[in-house]
Amino acid sequence: MDEKTTLRVRDFWASIFLIGASCFFIYKTTEIPFLNTKVAGVDSADWYNSAALVPFGIFGCMLVLAFVLLGIAIRDGGARQALTAVGIGYSRSELIRLSCICTILFFYIFGLVPRVDFVIASSLMMTCLIWGFHKQDRNAMLIGTATISSAALYALVMHFPRSQWTKPHDDDWIALAAFLLLTTIMIFKERRKGKLSTVTKLTPVISVLAPLILVLAMAFGFRQNVPNRTGLIFSHMEYHYYVSLRPLWRSKN
Amino acid sequence: MEFVVAQLSGFGSSLFGLMIDPVTYFYLIPAVFLGIVFGALPGLTATLAVTILTGFFGNKFPLDQALIALIGAYVGAIYGGSYPSILLNIPGTAASAATAMDGYPLAKEGRGGEALGITTTASFIGTLFGTFCLLIFVWILLLVSQNIASPEKALLALFGILLSGTLMSQDLVIKGWISGLIGLAMAMVGLDPILSEERYIFDWSYLLSGFQVVPVLMGAFAIPQIMDGMRAAISLGQVPKLDRIRPELGEVKKRLPVILRSGGIGTGIGALPGVGEDVAGWVSYGVGKTTSKESEQFGKGSVDGLISAEAANNAAIGGALIPLLVLGIPGSPPAAALLGALKINNVIPGPTIDPALIIHIVAVLVLASVTMFLMGLFTARIFVAILRIPKTVFLPVVMVLTTIGSFSVGGGINDLFLMFGVGMLAYAMNLMHYPIAPLVIGVILGGLFDETLRRSLLISDGDLSIFFNRPGAAILLGLNVLLVVSQIPYFKSLSRKIFGGSKPQ
Repeated sequence: MDEKTTLRVRDFWASIFLIGASCFFIYKTTEIPFLNTKVAGVDSADWYNSAALVPFGIFGCMLVLAFVLLGIAIRDGGARQALTAVGIGYSRSELIRLSCICTILFFYIFGLVPRVDFVIASSLMMTCLIWGFHKQDRNAMLIGTATISSAALYALVMHFPRSQWTKPHDDDWIALAAFLLLTTIMIFKERRKGKLSTVTKLTPVISVLAPLILVLAMAFGFRQNVPNRTGLIFSHMEYHYYVSLRPLWRSKN
Repeated sequence: MEFVVAQLSGFGSSLFGLMIDPVTYFYLIPAVFLGIVFGALPGLTATLAVTILTGFFGNKFPLDQALIALIGAYVGAIYGGSYPSILLNIPGTAASAATAMDGYPLAKEGRGGEALGITTTASFIGTLFGTFCLLIFVWILLLVSQNIASPEKALLALFGILLSGTLMSQDLVIKGWISGLIGLAMAMVGLDPILSEERYIFDWSYLLSGFQVVPVLMGAFAIPQIMDGMRAAISLGQVPKLDRIRPELGEVKKRLPVILRSGGIGTGIGALPGVGEDVAGWVSYGVGKTTSKESEQFGKGSVDGLISAEAANNAAIGGALIPLLVLGIPGSPPAAALLGALKINNVIPGPTIDPALIIHIVAVLVLASVTMFLMGLFTARIFVAILRIPKTVFLPVVMVLTTIGSFSVGGGINDLFLMFGVGMLAYAMNLMHYPIAPLVIGVILGGLFDETLRRSLLISDGDLSIFFNRPGAAILLGLNVLLVVSQIPYFKSLSRKIFGGSKPQ
């Protein structure tokens, strides 16, 4: 099957999704006052000034284009192949690869960054990605994904509410332990295969130094906000910056 | 003439002020370096370089200093894309895809150094050409823009989205339009700009202020690259050895007409709303192929071919800034990121923009292109060495960069959720060959389109003739209709019958 047919199969499903999404958002747009609606006895906008005017246009056009796309997809054989694995372009190894990356990124963004120290969370995520995907080793991918998922799930389950995000918790220690465990497993497994490669040797160094330098530059150089200021490592850095270091050059002025 | 002299003298004093200020070099040199690195590493783009720096600078630094870094990165990244194009046949950015056509054959012949040298020179002259056009035309257009009111602005914003969707589509044109519509739809979220009516906020207060530009850009340009890049080759391959990089002066003189022609094309294409450097490179390459004396060599290692693409994509930078500064409509995705930075600093581009800011931007562009030129000639081997870093190592670092950059802009953790969501959407769209640039242009211009369209109708009491009676609006409406109609198969075949020409393959 050629790439064009695969594309048309995907277009077939995408157009159905777009039709559904357009209809849903057209329905949601009807909740916005459009034709001479009165709110609390006061005339709201006319149709030409209504907040619903442009959205109706956008989702109306999207609905029309989605039907055109559906027509093209059906004409070019997209519907005939729609339920075949080859038609969709399904590949098991690709599915595993993508699922692992999505899981790692999802747990990093939704689980770790809001709750865990940024340097520890980023070090763990980077180790998972570099070790898991550098040699496309499926075991490494799965071990990395399982490790970050465990640490993130612990943080998510134990400290789910937003009010708990910036408070210091044991989830920092769990994530740190997960990072150290993953690094140890990586070195152990790679050594069993033979001499450690340069990338394997550098992975822990890059994983720690890159987020550390970035967070330092961002917080104290660019003076920007950084995630989780009460995190295990950052809180110490911030304390020593203001209490130990800053007075050194402040006192000279 | 008096006008040109006044412009040049204002520009001269601004340039001199920048040159004698050490702070300029503190920002400019690392920014151009970072830009070239981002351009050189396949998967990282000029838009991402500008967006990440926007996150770092935010609004905590004076805008004139932030602009030095952002423009430096923009210029560097567009040029940097030529390194992997020439040496590895892998375009570093979409803008340098046409560069690979002749750059790589030259490198295979053992002329990689020569190709890099002439590319650097062409990019430098191209950027200066685009900058000069920006300096002159921006004022003329600013005068014209005094007469541009809401109807013209609405139609111009629509034209930008449609044009971007039409020209950036790799598969079906309607996919580009759908992408633009998705961007427009995303721009509708939050309080509407005229009546402050809530739209699609789903009881989530974060959405009241709408989608922020920086997380959208980071999600659209970084996450898909990370998801895609973590599969590819472990290293980018063997980089060929380089001979002398500095070009011969005679060679540059000989190629100057081609460089200037390409610069003209690049500036013109760049000035079209929402199109950008990659289209400029390809159009100029196509024109070069039909007009060059060595056209039969195109694709086999023609220096003219190489210059046509590279001078044009760098000249497009100046061009892309013209609609941005005059109308607040970005000429390219990196210019859209620049618009995001201006907005964060409460600068609204358009007829009321501070003229000193335009002069400052022009001066920064000139200094950035000189820095790029010197770095390209004297430190090229460093960038070639950087090409050896595996994707699987630098992409995780990019993930950390985008996370912290996106977080710092203002929305905090919610911006990260938005970035992730947009990233997943953009990845799915990439898989189905939907272009991402129209989505970004749609997000950026959606608010402007909504506000100006409704304001036009409010002024005319709902009378649609406001879009026909004003000459400027009528022309723009005609262009919009023509653009859509020209893509309908029936009219396509009709125009082929009338004007001749072969059926596309």
